[in-house]
Amino acid sequence: MTSLAIAKCAVTDHTTTEHPSASGPGQTVLRVERLGKIFGDQNPAAVAHTGPDAGTEKSPDGNSVVAAWDVSFDVAAGEAFGVIGESGSGKSTVMRAIAGDHSSTAGSVWMQRRDGSTVDLLTMTASERRALRVDELSVVYQDAAEGLDLGVTAGGNIADRLTAAGWRNFGQIRERAAELLGRTEVPLERMDDLVRTFSGGMRQRVQLARALANRPPIVLLDEPTTGLDASVAAGVLDLIRSLLEELGIAAVVVSHDFAVIEMLTTRCMVMQHGRVVEQGLTDQLFEDPQAPYTQRLVAAARA
Amino acid sequence: MSSTLADLVRAPVDPGILDEHAKREVRRAILTAVCVPGYQVPFGSREMPVARGWGSGGLQITLAIVGVDDIVKVIDQGDDEGVNAVNLRRLVTNTTGAVETTEVDEATVIQTRHRIPEDPLSADQTLVLQVPVPEPLRGVERNMAALAQMHAEADYARMWVSLYEDKVRNGVITKSTGYPCLVGGRYVIATTPIPRWDIPRLHQAPFLSLFGAGRERKIYAIPPDTDVEPLTFDDVPFEVERTPGASCSLCQATEAYLVEIPPSSIGAADGRWICSDTAWCRRRRSEDNQS
Amino acid sequence: MTPSSNDVATPTQATVEIEMTKNQLSDESSAVLSVRGLHKHFVLHNVDGRRVESLNGIDLDVRAGEHIALAGSSGAGKSTLLKCIYRTYLPSAGTVTLRSPIGPVELTGLADAKLAAIRGREFGYVSQFLRAEPRRGALDIVARAGIARGMDKETATEAAAVSLRRLHLDESLWDVFASVLSGGEKQRVNLAAGTISPPQLLLLDEPVSALDPANREAALALIADLTATGVAVLAVFHDLDAMDRLASRVVVMRAGRIIESGPPDQVLHHLEGVAR
Repeated sequence: MTSLAIAKCAVTDHTTTEHPSASGPGQTVLRVERLGKIFGDQNPAAVAHTGPDAGTEKSPDGNSVVAAWDVSFDVAAGEAFGVIGESGSGKSTVMRAIAGDHSSTAGSVWMQRRDGSTVDLLTMTASERRALRVDELSVVYQDAAEGLDLGVTAGGNIADRLTAAGWRNFGQIRERAAELLGRTEVPLERMDDLVRTFSGGMRQRVQLARALANRPPIVLLDEPTTGLDASVAAGVLDLIRSLLEELGIAAVVVSHDFAVIEMLTTRCMVMQHGRVVEQGLTDQLFEDPQAPYTQRLVAAARA
Repeated sequence: MSSTLADLVRAPVDPGILDEHAKREVRRAILTAVCVPGYQVPFGSREMPVARGWGSGGLQITLAIVGVDDIVKVIDQGDDEGVNAVNLRRLVTNTTGAVETTEVDEATVIQTRHRIPEDPLSADQTLVLQVPVPEPLRGVERNMAALAQMHAEADYARMWVSLYEDKVRNGVITKSTGYPCLVGGRYVIATTPIPRWDIPRLHQAPFLSLFGAGRERKIYAIPPDTDVEPLTFDDVPFEVERTPGASCSLCQATEAYLVEIPPSSIGAADGRWICSDTAWCRRRRSEDNQS
Repeated sequence: MTPSSNDVATPTQATVEIEMTKNQLSDESSAVLSVRGLHKHFVLHNVDGRRVESLNGIDLDVRAGEHIALAGSSGAGKSTLLKCIYRTYLPSAGTVTLRSPIGPVELTGLADAKLAAIRGREFGYVSQFLRAEPRRGALDIVARAGIARGMDKETATEAAAVSLRRLHLDESLWDVFASVLSGGEKQRVNLAAGTISPPQLLLLDEPVSALDPANREAALALIADLTATGVAVLAVFHDLDAMDRLASRVVVMRAGRIIESGPPDQVLHHLEGVAR
């Protein structure tokens, strides 16, 4: 009885050796395999003393934090995959590991490139990973200041990505920036205003526009609406949802908020103390959670 | 006892201003710079008799490369007779035994602040430019590590954004001196201190240009026959400074870089504009007089 | 019988681009859906770890063009059965086999990603509630459902309009954000979206509960048409009259088991007086 549930919780290993080279819908474009990140002393022994059973991510001697360990999942083209957890769960660590914002201790992150080849991001140099961030992998951060230059105009933030990708025609840059801002519902008359003068919700929209500038096949979103007023958040969430659908982008959405995960994703996983506790179809995870922790989280969210 | 008094007078007054060891280091930096066009090579900048920010970098380059067979021209804002130009020229000639000149076609080394001479230079000549700020990205990034990374990865997006913002804010790109240029298709340099007018002259030039920044301790170079392209958008042509209707009140030239002077000096009829390159202007006038 | 990870995978089945056409009703007598020995229990870890038995061995076939109505009192397991088939609930034991153009697919052991891909295309689920699409208009929601099933934009929009008109949703409401619609209006949008360019199997869970009599009529007529065109329907209605009109067979459940199955006129008169 529970064996089925466990089978669903564990990594679905059907495609371990399958590294697809074509990128039609349904093809895996991102596969995370046993990703791990330890902060502090790189002490592998810390792994055994941390996790949900130990009730903590910190090693007993206090010198290591096993922020994430043995994390595996995959995302198909055009699919949105959710990562839910409370703070300390490791969800943001996983996102940053994929983004390349920090190094990883263990595992692989296989990504399908535009040319169809597959590469393990963790074997690339920092400089190669930065190059990827131009047009193959974008990130939308919880704090817009992390993903934008506040001292630059809205259009300028988009021009930044376009010029990085080689755009050199001013008129075309303006046109594309205006198009993106229009699509993310930023009033056009604010295109030449410094982002510093924008509200939180507007900043997130600009961040979205910038992230989509070079049509990346994969986008990571970290708590995209956390900190925004409820009504503002609803609008931004809806925008994200329609953009993901319309553009067929593969997305990883990290959030502690069930409403966000429910609205945006078809499959998701729950993390606690750095480990994956359960993984499955989003509606199944919410309506028939198997793991005690997941049941607790869902019950609290429904309350 | 074969030396005459004349020999003694001609001997270098103060051989210690830049010793051979220091000269060698500067030459090595120059060689690296020439091998990697546009790359800012760090060097151990020495204390010079001119204050930092007043041409100590250019001076070190000149001192490192000239010898008794060289003829040196020094200009400041195009003028051989400016106080700084005169002092630097004397310093160089007194300490190296090189000869001075104000005529471009006689010089082997031309040290300059702010201008390239109007006369075309040849492959036998070397241009040494004094640079206060060698970093083209200075206005958009402060962090040294980030700057190094940007140059290393040819990631000049921030530069492009500043050009975009400039055009959006002002309708045109307003950078005047120090316009950023792409050298050899790879590194972006600051062309301080020369005005836009002189930039086209760097592209595929037959002569070697050496840029010295003493305070910032960097040397960079544009070898002969190298592409130098000012950064601009494809649909925004790079324009040089022009004042419609202006001409030099001394030689009537219109196709030279002109500077404005107050009407009361020089003693010319309506002294609004004169050539920045004084030697060039003087030669034009003497040729006119001869014809 | 524990489900195995035996999803049908020809060596080249890396994608799940299963093309579905209504005309592939190759064998009328073979079931579109076959449920065998389905069990479902819940373990409430955060209550007292108790185990709640919900389905105790369900065997059921649904054929093309059949409308099977699930009847029984509240708590009998009707909605649970639908959700286990759709895999919103994880079956505890048993198999759920769905016919597909590439052969039978056993849903309980299918990888999540593959199941997500065939949901909506090979089989659909229409609940009582409109899923959160607050800022889309009704026409857009229904049209997109059609596009997701392979229609082109014009055809989908046209079909959506036809469907909404049929369900008496006023044209003035087609472009307003669906979140401002009434419960009954939302339910009609939901039904239209679930049934546009219908897949071979539809699971309906109280799809007309919020409709007033006139709108209910139109909705039931639409559902009746589904089976007429060969769609297999497995439905839960609390309304005996609806079951009587639509069902080719009524399956009565109690305490997670099927206790009776037969044509409506035979089965339903037993249930007179039973509210649900």
